[in-house]
Amino acid sequence: MASTTPMTGTPSPSSPPRRRRPGGGDAVATVAAVARAAVETPFTRRAWGEFAYCLAGFPLGVAGFAGTVVLLALGAGLSLTMAGMVLGVPLLIGVLALVRGLGALHRRLAAALLGERVAAPPRPRPGRGLTGRLGARLRDRASWRAVAYLLVKLPVGILGLYSVALWGGGLVNMTYVLWWAGFRHHPPGTHLRPVPVLTLLPMGSFQVATFAGTFAAFAVGAATVLLAPWLVRAVAAADLRLVRGLLGPGALAERVRALEETRALAVDDAAATLRRLERDLHDGTQARLIALAMNLGLASEKLGDGDAGAGQPPEVARARELVASAHQTATEAIAELRDLARGIHPPVLDTGLADALATLAARSAVPVRLSVEIPRRPTAAIETIAYFCAAELLANVTRHSGARHASVDAAGHDGVLRLRVSDDGRGGARLDTGTGAGSGSGSGLRGLAQRVRTVDGSLMISSPPGGPTVVSVELPLHA
Amino acid sequence: MAMRVVIAEDAAILREGLAALLTDRGHEVCAAVADAEALRGAVASHRPDVAIVDIRMPPTHTDEGLRAAIELRREHPGTGVLVFSQYIEAGYATRLLATGSAGVGYLLKERVAKVAEFTDALTRVAAGGTALDPEVVTQLARASRRADDLAALTPREREVLSLMAEGRSNAAIATTLVIGAGAVEKHVAGIFAKLGMPPSEDDNRRVLAVLAYLNQ
Repeated sequence: MASTTPMTGTPSPSSPPRRRRPGGGDAVATVAAVARAAVETPFTRRAWGEFAYCLAGFPLGVAGFAGTVVLLALGAGLSLTMAGMVLGVPLLIGVLALVRGLGALHRRLAAALLGERVAAPPRPRPGRGLTGRLGARLRDRASWRAVAYLLVKLPVGILGLYSVALWGGGLVNMTYVLWWAGFRHHPPGTHLRPVPVLTLLPMGSFQVATFAGTFAAFAVGAATVLLAPWLVRAVAAADLRLVRGLLGPGALAERVRALEETRALAVDDAAATLRRLERDLHDGTQARLIALAMNLGLASEKLGDGDAGAGQPPEVARARELVASAHQTATEAIAELRDLARGIHPPVLDTGLADALATLAARSAVPVRLSVEIPRRPTAAIETIAYFCAAELLANVTRHSGARHASVDAAGHDGVLRLRVSDDGRGGARLDTGTGAGSGSGSGLRGLAQRVRTVDGSLMISSPPGGPTVVSVELPLHA
Repeated sequence: MAMRVVIAEDAAILREGLAALLTDRGHEVCAAVADAEALRGAVASHRPDVAIVDIRMPPTHTDEGLRAAIELRREHPGTGVLVFSQYIEAGYATRLLATGSAGVGYLLKERVAKVAEFTDALTRVAAGGTALDPEVVTQLARASRRADDLAALTPREREVLSLMAEGRSNAAIATTLVIGAGAVEKHVAGIFAKLGMPPSEDDNRRVLAVLAYLNQ
């Protein structure tokens, strides 16, 4: 929300009355609006913030530039020799840490004075072992981008200070009129050197020698005071772009985060849609089919069974057959619909993975030993993925392994859900062959692995020829 | 025997269909409600012989019916509870049967289509017996660690074991399998001997023994 502030807050000359309509009234209004904006801008809260930012940024920029250049050069120079590296590398790492700290300070300054919060970049990846850790620190992109910022900050800071000084100079020029009357009434003939007017522009500086001239100085001062805030704003905006680009998480990291977020939403949304679909089937179609079967059952009874109806006319016997057949069909449709709905979203999952896995184990043709230890419930999408993994893996055990026993272990600790399905069958299961005969792409083990990857999980198979087969699935508890 | 029945089912079409069916059979439907909270109230005020309880009901549509059923069994032991669902879940069966098997049932909803069998099961539950769906028994047997022992039974003995677990009496088993009462007794004795269970004449205790065996 803070990211919308940059250049649209106050009416700028180009912003509001862009639409041109016939008639002169609009043109007058436009000019008036521009004039008002020009006069008001120097006195807005935002202008003061930008002013303060440029002022505070300068010493910080100079110190940061000098410190970074000197210390980095020292560290790099030391690191050129083998012996020097003992000192140089820790120094470099220290400087990089300092630079990150300075970056944080600049971000905070931008947040406080410019109202734009820039997220911190991701922390350096932890490496393994001493050299790994040191290497990770030295290669950390965010630190080096912060170095780049501190180097660029010096010219930007100078420009910022210049804009502020321009503003101050304008104010001073406006005061000439006041003190001319106080200090410059010497007797006629006294030769006084003309007073230079502070315009701070490379050309166009002039000098004032008479009281009338001070009005010219006032005009120049007023113009500068009105114009300088725009320069300050431009410098602050440029600086902010640099802060965003070099001190923020970086475009790629930002994109990764956005993708992770939207992917989690998509996964959750898909799970919720399937759940809703199953519930609609349950409340609507399934209930109606059962009512239909119930009525057909009643009708069947009313028509009597075959023995009792021996003396009935043939139409009744035919009707009885038809009703019995419809009854049978309705019952089969109910069973089919139940299997279908269970494949979409097993309702028992709503009460938790433990119950769902228990049902799965009970439905398996190969006896299953089950152990579940999940103290905190994972999110719905994770439970669904874990359930379908277990279902598919148990189906594989039945279809392909020839196992006599299988076991399912599920444990959720340290933010990770670990699911292990093992069997004492003939082994030889491989990821690239899917589930063997007749399995299309996207099904079988490969399909499972893909599904697990959608939430940054992993699937590992250990299945030497002759068995046993162990498939381990790891999922984050919260997608 | 005319029964007094309370129905808890959130799908109106089934609730009304069930009520019509039971009334048609001469039973009294004291109340037909749509959620677990109303069920508790209805059972407390009407004290019916049996309550038919759907597992998935508002507000969460998960297992509130099952939880209400377990509560009813504790608070109103005189009321039989027939849990009624579109799914058979072994975990639900285990939770339900943990409260004992007297006056309890768990059936697939579509069993209502076989009207006579359904009212028979309901009567059994109302009278303090058991009515388990064949699917429940199959699942419990599969989940059982005694799968190897069960494999030693003859196919006929397995059929008889299933019917016993469903809660049927010897006479009902004889009718279902179209065999004589003597043959049923012989099979029952054979099963008890092979599985090493203490023989029992009482239907309820027999169901309990079979279920306990399967649940091991």
